[in-house]
Amino acid sequence: MKLYRDLTIHQKQIVWAWTFLALPVLFYGVIRFYPTGNAILISFQDWNLLGDRTWTGFDNYSTLFADPVFWKVFKNTFVYLLLGTPISLVISFVIAYHLDKTRFLHGFLRMLYFLPFMTSAVAMAWVWRWFYQPVPIGLFNNALASVGIPQINFLNSTTNALPAILAPAVWAGLGFQIIIFMAGLRAIPRSYYEAARIDGVSTWSILWEITLPLLKPTIVFLVVFSSIGFLRIFDHVFNMTTNNPGGPLNATKPLVLMIYQTAFSSFDMGYAAAQTVVLFVVLLVVSLLQLRLLRDR
Amino acid sequence: MADLILRDLVKRFDKAEVLRSINLEVHDGEFVVFVGPSGCGKSTTLRLIAGLDDVTSGTVEIAGRVVNNLEPKDRDIAMVFQNYAIYPHMTVRRNISFGLKSSKASRAEKTRRIEEVAAILGMTNLLDRKPAQLSGGQRQRVAIGRAMVRDPAVFLFDEPLSNLDAQLRTQMRLEIKKLHQRVGSTIIFVTHDQVEAMTMADRIVIMKDGRIQQVGTPADVYHSPANMFVAQFIGAPSMNLIPGAVAHDHGVTLASGQSLHFDRALPQGRNVTLGIRPEDLSPDTPDAIVEGQVTVREPLGHETLIYVGTPSGDLIAKADGRTPPEVGASVRLGALSQNIHVFDADTGEALL
Repeated sequence: MKLYRDLTIHQKQIVWAWTFLALPVLFYGVIRFYPTGNAILISFQDWNLLGDRTWTGFDNYSTLFADPVFWKVFKNTFVYLLLGTPISLVISFVIAYHLDKTRFLHGFLRMLYFLPFMTSAVAMAWVWRWFYQPVPIGLFNNALASVGIPQINFLNSTTNALPAILAPAVWAGLGFQIIIFMAGLRAIPRSYYEAARIDGVSTWSILWEITLPLLKPTIVFLVVFSSIGFLRIFDHVFNMTTNNPGGPLNATKPLVLMIYQTAFSSFDMGYAAAQTVVLFVVLLVVSLLQLRLLRDR
Repeated sequence: MADLILRDLVKRFDKAEVLRSINLEVHDGEFVVFVGPSGCGKSTTLRLIAGLDDVTSGTVEIAGRVVNNLEPKDRDIAMVFQNYAIYPHMTVRRNISFGLKSSKASRAEKTRRIEEVAAILGMTNLLDRKPAQLSGGQRQRVAIGRAMVRDPAVFLFDEPLSNLDAQLRTQMRLEIKKLHQRVGSTIIFVTHDQVEAMTMADRIVIMKDGRIQQVGTPADVYHSPANMFVAQFIGAPSMNLIPGAVAHDHGVTLASGQSLHFDRALPQGRNVTLGIRPEDLSPDTPDAIVEGQVTVREPLGHETLIYVGTPSGDLIAKADGRTPPEVGASVRLGALSQNIHVFDADTGEALL
């Protein structure tokens, strides 16, 4: 105790700072950085979970880049991203923009939109899977049949399956995005709109020249956040294609699902780790690129 | 011709009546200031004139036409907001040009107008800056510029100086007044600061609880307040109020038993309140009204305000700047009878 008492105020502050920092440092070190480092290490090794780890250098990576399935999966992942992010952002903005102006049942409507976000992805995926079944089970095909439109093969078609899986994924994320957009809209002072009304600015100009530019921080956040979400899509795909995960013919398989299968079906940990490292690099590059492009000039 | 006429203007939000029958005529080129405590309806009146809120009943007439059902942009008005409402992501030039969005003028004509306004406001070198790079006073000027570029019949100012520090406020007050003298447009200016109202207005409209209390020149409302509210609201420090009763048609008896004689006739048997401005109440005058002890002194240099505890309550008086009475000293306060205002104690209306 005497030792502590003899310290200067500045030294005591340092002691306390490190005391409080110790927990997060330990957490990040053990739970986050150690596994990340380990994954990178394993990606240069050959390991089946039980046997010895053997050093293989860049073998896993060269196998990966030569694997046509990897490139198919890589492309799928970007299709999820490039369709999912803009579509979900446009839909959620349009809903938030109008919901913000609605007084009637405002709280109830907001709750309805938020509900899917709180629901389990597994349960949702199975409900949507039922929607997509052929006649006489599936909701959509029944509806189509009742007005005389031919059946659509949703989940069993290599062209339709990916959009069919993307739809519930977009729908599930809307609630969150709407809430964030509405918070952003609320933060814009009313007097900006009133000044524009007095100046006779059209609704369209107000939207493009006032609302959207002032929402930029919100948009940047949502673009990055939802991009990361779509790049890591897994549970919707896995649950809607359980008989043949990622099928038909790898048409819906995203990178995370490929990693999962390589690791826990083929037990090829080194190969799975190499895919993980690639996903990590992709996420990093996409996020940094978006932040840079959308940054305030 | 840009007269503004409000007739029987009423505004209700649900059940709450915030404006009750406002009648006012503002003449072309006049600088009218609406002043009152918060919640008195002054900003609501301005928003009804601007068309940002709907009129419940009554009419708003600008330059001879009723504008109740016209969109704000068609009313030939411009408004300067309390938080300026200038867009942070646009340059000063773009902000000012926003005022011309609905104008049919050619591009060259618009540019000329923007340059002209910027020159009048001394902002030519700031046109390509963003609002974040401007000081509070400069932002205020941008907001005024955006209003000026529209060349409206009526300018509406909604407490535009309340976000500025004291020194800048005094400076902008002067600038707005000069601007008015230069462009000569009709201005409606809303403020809660009676000093702003007194210094800028041609005529002051004093409001309380959704009603107009008095309309008049600064001198009118200061020297002949229509009621106790106006008397207390205008002038700093506030007017002293002393309760009393009319004893006979020329005399008032105070609570202390002191009797006062007036040259003017008073309605008999009424309870009255006497109002005396601190600068009209001074110690050691021959015709003293009340006596008391000095509790606090506030030296202001050229004069000293003294707070005096008397049987009629605490009063504020003005004493000499160099030799004011000591704290604790006994003083006799007096005022000239023509400087004493008499109000009906029950209704608050001025009797003399």
